[in-house]
Amino acid sequence: MLVSIFRGKFALALKVIALLLVTSVLAMLAQQALAQGEYAIAIFLILATLAINFVYLTRQSVPLKFFLPGLLFLLAFVVGPVLYTVAMSGFQYQSGNIISKPESISQLEKLGKVQDANQTTLDVTIGRATANELAVIYFDFDKNEYAVSTEKSRALQNPATITKNDFDIPNGSPDFKALTNDELGALDSQIPALKFYYDGEYYLGLEGFQSASLYKQSIAYDATKDEFKSLINDKIYRDNGKGNYANINNPEDLLQPGWRAPIWFEHYKSLFTEERLRSPFISVFLWTISFAGLSVLTTFALGLLLALALSKAIRGRRIYRSILILPYAMPSVMSILIWGGMFDTEFGAINNLLGTHIAWFQSAAFARTAVILVNLWLGFPYFYLVASGALQAIPAELSEAAAIDGANPRQIFRKITLPLLLKILSPLLIASFAYNFNNFNLIYLLTGGGPINQLDGDLAGATDILISYTYKIAFKEGNSNLGLASAISLIIFLLVASISLYGLKKSKVLEDLS
Amino acid sequence: MSKWLANNLWRHVVAITVCLFSLFPLYLVIISSLNPTGSLNLTSFIPTEISFKNFSLLFNDPRIPYLTWMRNSLIIAGAVAILSVTIGAASAFAFSRLRFKGKITGLKLLLLVQMFPAILAISAVYVIMERVQTFAPAIGLGTKPGLLLVYLGGAMGVNIWLLKGFVDTIPAELDEAAKVDGASPMQIYWLIFIPLATPVLSVVALLSFIGTFNEFILARLFLVDMPDRTIAVGLQAFIGGQYTQNWGPFAAGSIIASVPIVIIFLSLQKYIVNGLTAGSVKG
Repeated sequence: MLVSIFRGKFALALKVIALLLVTSVLAMLAQQALAQGEYAIAIFLILATLAINFVYLTRQSVPLKFFLPGLLFLLAFVVGPVLYTVAMSGFQYQSGNIISKPESISQLEKLGKVQDANQTTLDVTIGRATANELAVIYFDFDKNEYAVSTEKSRALQNPATITKNDFDIPNGSPDFKALTNDELGALDSQIPALKFYYDGEYYLGLEGFQSASLYKQSIAYDATKDEFKSLINDKIYRDNGKGNYANINNPEDLLQPGWRAPIWFEHYKSLFTEERLRSPFISVFLWTISFAGLSVLTTFALGLLLALALSKAIRGRRIYRSILILPYAMPSVMSILIWGGMFDTEFGAINNLLGTHIAWFQSAAFARTAVILVNLWLGFPYFYLVASGALQAIPAELSEAAAIDGANPRQIFRKITLPLLLKILSPLLIASFAYNFNNFNLIYLLTGGGPINQLDGDLAGATDILISYTYKIAFKEGNSNLGLASAISLIIFLLVASISLYGLKKSKVLEDLS
Repeated sequence: MSKWLANNLWRHVVAITVCLFSLFPLYLVIISSLNPTGSLNLTSFIPTEISFKNFSLLFNDPRIPYLTWMRNSLIIAGAVAILSVTIGAASAFAFSRLRFKGKITGLKLLLLVQMFPAILAISAVYVIMERVQTFAPAIGLGTKPGLLLVYLGGAMGVNIWLLKGFVDTIPAELDEAAKVDGASPMQIYWLIFIPLATPVLSVVALLSFIGTFNEFILARLFLVDMPDRTIAVGLQAFIGGQYTQNWGPFAAGSIIASVPIVIIFLSLQKYIVNGLTAGSVKG
């Protein structure tokens, strides 16, 4: 009976319906992605759809039927983002360099304008001229005349034929018909781009629906030379190869916005050569290593001490054990936030208990102590648990034999138990180091990376580890640098992957695979 | 007597000292939650007055949509647990029981992938989901389904790896026998493997539930609107570094959010310790 569900028409119908459903959803998404110009995503979706149909409709590969869904998720949300990170790390990709080059050029042309010296602003009405082209009508108080300007020309109007609204602003003439409110509404998005002829040098640019100012183009783009030229002081701006047009006489003088430009290994290079980036990077890196090392050391030491103390079936061992693993069972986000409150300067329990008045998160040394202490609380139960297990795995004969030979307990521990324990636990110690290397939540939630030396205007704080520093670089409001953040991410990955691979080699997981 | 002292006293001293260390924050948060002033300032470590004001505030104060946050967390963590195990179990089965070309290479790649901490690719995930947002607003940045997809993908490597480890411990004799009797891999999977593996799968599902419940940074980046937040993000924003202001309700809220997790964890202790020694570290 049960078996029949997996064979025959019913199963086939179910399979076809499921496939149809998945196919149509994915195909619809792919089509929408194409329409938005997101080609990479669209191609992935199309390939995924084809793969799914191929795998489940043919008998080509049975294993694929089992792991295709998992594989697709991995590709979409792990492999894809990793490749994207690699790509971003080779680009100038930051606030001010987000758009593409053609978009940047058209924005620069639009923004590259200056008002006339008097900052003349005129009341205007928008409408259509005789040939139905867009136009404005206004009274030019400079020249004391009424005029209608279209994009290409300016025509004087006979004052007698002008009609005006309640505010004495001209709104009609034989050559001009004002737009209705509905027509104006439809025009809204084009307003900033509209230009009306004034006198060859200056043009009228709209400031909303009812006024216009005199502008002249301040820079001009020369497509054949790919350069901008200032029309005011003749400065030349050329593509600096880093995503901006820069003044050829002063590389610091950039036109904004720039674009995301490929700069290959520039980010990696600048991390090691530019003082501004190198010094915080190195200090954060050193603290990351010390933090991870100290965390492993303290949690392992305390865990081992406990495991030794409770290796004998003393009274109350079960109760001790249940209490000791509580910190590990608590959701760590909650624990870290609770500790944050305990370190409060005014009313926190720690100062209260010690009778001190320390501003824990204001000084580097205290903040670092707090971070290590909290991580000790969070992490010692883990090593207590694994060290207890490892102690049981060490044959009792060894220490018994040593005892018969006259070794005292301290010697037995130092010469026999500890070396064996370290050998068994070294892969876990390494894994724990790798984990703490990226212990983002602890740093972010407890100190936010602080304290920061505000005077430097720097992002890196005294307790920032590489990953929290990267996060700040990537997501700082108004000044995010995704390219640089990606480069640091990849450096962290290489470090952590080599540490982990070394640990795996020790644990022989790799050999078990084959 | 002196021998007992020499052998056992130090053990009790160590155990009691560390127990006090591990209980101190928990004790503190419990008495804070019962303190009617709701303030961080404790005049004494022994409560003089007990009230449930902070708890009732959680459910009645419009500034704290506590139940909504809790519901979001439970829905997201629950969905991730069920879906990731459903998808992961099939992959783990293939890697553990089927023979195919490139299996070793596949496993090595999987091992590499599961070492890449999801947080490292966070800016890429953010930008990608920002793009998805432009053509599919329902699953892009700032939506719960979007976050769910990212969690599923991010946890897939670890989950398949973990599941494979557990699945390897289930004896293969039964499915070998079924194979001899002519059962197809699909039949073996659904009729023999899944019933056998259900306990193991539920453990991994619960572990994945705890992991997702505890996840903070993706949830914070993705779910910005107040009623969309998860409990971790909501409580963090609520306390917002201003510990003095909202300490009482925060303490109460963190206790309610922690109790189910602690219970799940303690009841799974045995499996978690086994998983620990296999090299995975809880987040």
